[in-house]
Amino acid sequence: MRKFDPITLEIIQRSLSSASEEMFATIKKTAMSSIIYEVLDMGTAITAANGELASSGSGIPAFVCALDKAVMKIIDKFGFDNIENGDIFLTNDPYFGGVTHLNDAVLVKPVFYDNSLIAWTANIAHWNDVSGAIAGSMSGDATEIFQEGIRYPAIRLFKNDSVIDSVMDIIKANSRMPDFLHGDLWAQIAALRVGEKRIIELVDKYSKSVFVESINQHLEYGEKVAREVISKLKDGSYHLKEKQDDGSYLSVGIEIKDCEITFDLTDAPDQNTGPINLSLDASTLTVQMVLMGVIGSRVVGNGGCFRNLEIKTKQKTIYHAEEPAAAGFYFETMIRLYDILCRCLAENVAEFIPAGGFSSICATILGGVNADTQRQFTIIEPEIGGWGAGKDHDGINAMFCGIHGDTFNCPAEVAETRYGVTVEQQSLRICDAGAGEFRGGFGVTVDYRINSDNSFLTCAYTRAEVPPWPLNGGESGSTNGIKVIRVDGTQESYSFTTGLDLKQGDVVRVETATGAGFGDPLQRSRSRIDDDIKNGYVSLQYAKKVYGY
Amino acid sequence: MTEKQKTSRAATDVGGTFTDLVYFETNPVNGKQVVRAVKSNTIPKNIEQGVMNVLKKGCVDISQLETMTHGTTVVINALTERKGAKTALLTTRGFRDTLEIGRGNRPDYLNFNYQKPAAFIPRHLRFEITERINHQGQITSKLKIEELDDLVCALKNGSIDSIAICLLNAYANPVHEEILVKEIKQRCADISIVASHQITREWREYERTSTTALAAFVKPMAYQYLTNLERSMANNKFTGQFYVMQSNCGVSSIAASKETPITIVESGPSSGFLGAAELSQLLGEKNVLALDVGGTTAKCSLIKDGKVTITSDYYIERSKLSAGYPILVPVVDLVEIGNGGGSIAKVDLFGKLSVGPESAGANPGPVAYGKGGTDITTTDANLALGRINPDYFCDGEIVADMQSVTTKLTELGQKLKLSAIEIARGVIRIANNNMENALKLISVNRGFDPRDFTMIAFGGGGAVHAAELAMEMGIKKVIIPANAAVFSAWGMMLSDVRRDFMLTKIQTWHDANQSDINLQLKQLLSEAESYFSEESINFENCNLEMFIKLRYQNQEHSLEIPLNVLSVNSKVIAQVTQNFHENYLREYTYQLENEIEMVGYHLVVKADTGKIDWVKSELKNTSLGNAIKGKRDVDFGLHGNLKSTIYDGDKLTAGVSLSGPAIIEQAGTTTVVFPNQKVHLDGYSNIHIALN
Repeated sequence: MRKFDPITLEIIQRSLSSASEEMFATIKKTAMSSIIYEVLDMGTAITAANGELASSGSGIPAFVCALDKAVMKIIDKFGFDNIENGDIFLTNDPYFGGVTHLNDAVLVKPVFYDNSLIAWTANIAHWNDVSGAIAGSMSGDATEIFQEGIRYPAIRLFKNDSVIDSVMDIIKANSRMPDFLHGDLWAQIAALRVGEKRIIELVDKYSKSVFVESINQHLEYGEKVAREVISKLKDGSYHLKEKQDDGSYLSVGIEIKDCEITFDLTDAPDQNTGPINLSLDASTLTVQMVLMGVIGSRVVGNGGCFRNLEIKTKQKTIYHAEEPAAAGFYFETMIRLYDILCRCLAENVAEFIPAGGFSSICATILGGVNADTQRQFTIIEPEIGGWGAGKDHDGINAMFCGIHGDTFNCPAEVAETRYGVTVEQQSLRICDAGAGEFRGGFGVTVDYRINSDNSFLTCAYTRAEVPPWPLNGGESGSTNGIKVIRVDGTQESYSFTTGLDLKQGDVVRVETATGAGFGDPLQRSRSRIDDDIKNGYVSLQYAKKVYGY
Repeated sequence: MTEKQKTSRAATDVGGTFTDLVYFETNPVNGKQVVRAVKSNTIPKNIEQGVMNVLKKGCVDISQLETMTHGTTVVINALTERKGAKTALLTTRGFRDTLEIGRGNRPDYLNFNYQKPAAFIPRHLRFEITERINHQGQITSKLKIEELDDLVCALKNGSIDSIAICLLNAYANPVHEEILVKEIKQRCADISIVASHQITREWREYERTSTTALAAFVKPMAYQYLTNLERSMANNKFTGQFYVMQSNCGVSSIAASKETPITIVESGPSSGFLGAAELSQLLGEKNVLALDVGGTTAKCSLIKDGKVTITSDYYIERSKLSAGYPILVPVVDLVEIGNGGGSIAKVDLFGKLSVGPESAGANPGPVAYGKGGTDITTTDANLALGRINPDYFCDGEIVADMQSVTTKLTELGQKLKLSAIEIARGVIRIANNNMENALKLISVNRGFDPRDFTMIAFGGGGAVHAAELAMEMGIKKVIIPANAAVFSAWGMMLSDVRRDFMLTKIQTWHDANQSDINLQLKQLLSEAESYFSEESINFENCNLEMFIKLRYQNQEHSLEIPLNVLSVNSKVIAQVTQNFHENYLREYTYQLENEIEMVGYHLVVKADTGKIDWVKSELKNTSLGNAIKGKRDVDFGLHGNLKSTIYDGDKLTAGVSLSGPAIIEQAGTTTVVFPNQKVHLDGYSNIHIALN
């Protein structure tokens, strides 16, 4: 028998993937915040000793691809000599391996076997409140990261399997919701331990050398697949410049040569004085997610895929912000970058990428006092919307955007019980937009009636002015936005607002976009149009106007 | 009831390919028992005929039957094949699209072209009505019953057969749903109706709406099918009790099953696991990992203290690639993976070997069937390794095309630079690993060490893989039940009438709430009592088990802790609290000091159907005698290729012992025994394999 039997290596791989799923399930079952257990705004992964993602991990792709960076930062900061069995590290700082924003807490644990470091277990989850200028920590008015909460710049939280009490005290003292945070933190710790236990069982069974070889081979496999996929894309140099809601422009360049791909993000606006900046790690992660999407298989999603990837950025731009730039709402810049990259590929080399969708996190934060329980509540949620049409299918209705994944919306019945609001409707938002041979999918309308005074709304929506982009002669989609309908019937519209005062009886109406169409609407089949009219997806008037019905 | 010479019972289990019968009779005078197990073909277009055929084939005197228990895949098939009724939905104004919105998730998160599962009820058949009940169960907007006029018109003109009613917050108060059911029943007598509260009182509107929609979708067809079957039985002078196997490991009367047939969605697997639980109690092996391997899937479930676990976290068609459809009915807590005898092995462009979930099915089937199958399946690999007998394939009904198997294995192996035998071993190891990961999900994932468990393996393919799987997982004992191939039908005979009542009620688990809790317990019990009295079952003779769902305050997911009494006081509350902390620590490695919150109740009510007593044979004949069929080479993977003794399992008698390497061949199943494993047959003809 050969030294490394391919079947054994494969079995180890699958077991790592199961272990990551198990870590995910553990957090889901034990966390305290609905953003974690209901929305599943979290991710888990296992990395190689050097930090490369050893398997595809579980959860939101944007989060999984953040974890390798956290591990690498900790290795870099502490050095292998100072990392010991029984340590657990914490980072939430985008400039210290935290990648995203201060609300996302990354916990990592080195896994040792026979006194040597063989892997890491890691997870990331959204914490409700980490101090800062306003409740929920994410403020649209922040100009520096210092206003967005406390920074944990890759610090040690556990030593010898015991929590360092003074660090824990600091963590709890720096939250407006310490009980929730404490519960969520322990959920993450439980998951790290589960992952570690599974890894050690595997090594017990197959030996250290076989385990390490399995990870190495899997990374090589990821690299091979990525090369193969890239080599099939047409060589060339591609550029895209796209107008944004605020009138500015974002642009990207992609160069493909054989099996190498380079993303040029140097032509970028200066870093912003507001909270919409991406750290270098965050931009890298965005590019990696797009590449993973092009590869398209969960099985191969590992760090090896990124070995042929080059990313160029310029310091002090929004794609490579430096401290103390604020980053609380980084995700809207991230989804914009993701969307432009997809568009650039779709228009030039990748016909399997669908037309533009609502493509925004549509972060919606509602807070106040629960009218039933008199307890403080905060709803933090991303919204679902319409996706663009593909070359052979209509866009999907009401789904989370591309940088989300197996993320769940909050049921009306849960929201009403937990937060004391009334959800008056949650329906598809049918717009006269997004026509095509294949039409865009629909977004949603969600109405929250606020039942107590002194409540507030914070939101961050893009694609609020410039609609989703069509392909091959389809029509553009519609736009995202939020309306506040006051008790007296007056209406206000928002896309970015922070701490907007709400009174009892006000209705907050979330409206997300219809995705763009693919192909000439006149080519749409009669039976599809009939079906659309019957189901009320398309009005007769619109059908006559754009589909020549 | 007329005086009977003997007591006899039958269980029939309709699967995709075969309809199984297990028949059991006891002579009350001398205690002599007769058991017959037979199979006949399922007739897809006339399933009840297939059932009658198998009863005939088993020489069952239907007029003498005391009970007939029936399990069927018709409901799950109607769902997966989308062959149900034309169904409409009625819901609260503002929530017409809940069914289509779902939860907005995308499990295949790297796929730009992910397709959401299509709604079972299209948008033009989803109707809204003005009404509102809040989460505390108070009416905040009156039901506008006059709006029904338009709906009734649409129902009558739209040739709709079935309607699902699911209103927002109906879990907290179903009064508006009840009014609508009554009203629609009056005005459209022909329409089949399902309202959410009749099936579940749990929150989350999408999950409840999906449950109701799917229930309404299958109801007319299942109702008709059960009615036909009842009629066929009556025509054969059946006068006994007619039970239908439910997904919660219990049975219900056929009348109750006709009202909400969605509860029989997993009736086949549930009876197998119930059988395993009953067997575990009989044999005193109370902690069991039960494994059921069929043609396209493998299913497993953990049995603790001789009991199955029932949950309502059930989905169909859910995978890493699809969000699937939730059905909130009590279902035995099982994990199912696409890994059975017909699962296809593939090597991708980059040299990765996978097995399943794609299956070769019955047609063309494995390569060895010689029906044009070109993809190597798990069964082909087992044949190539000599584990399944190529000369007695499918009980001798099929001549295994071993030449094609070798050719196809060689082709597959070339992609990994492995020989045909090496790749066959690889296929089995990957298939076993798939099953091992599923078994870990139900054990280690929940804080149980598989080494503390006995494995009970059944279904056509369970016994081929069990001993090797057990070795991999450090399990010390494997039991292959007698009649392993028809074990699901066997399990049906052992089922109680069972009903699970689940109620969402969120409050602090604290002394201060004692009186509220006691009041709620009383209400739940009286609901159960009235259900059973409608079934003409004396509630006083029922067995009750109450569970409280608890969690730390602010958490969402809960643990079920048994409440051994039916009312609480300070002492009980303190004891349950302590049990919760201990369970939590075992499962999640930590405890918190937070307050404990209760989420709801789970009441299990069981009524005995007069189960069979197993009679043990005396263990006197220990000769292997004519059971030895011969010897052949069998490849045991890492343990080498060994000359092994082949036994005719149907000729082995109670009490005999033998040791591996060996193969035991029985009707419908093959047991593989590895070197150094010791086997003995107990007094009930179950095969016990002891591992070192």
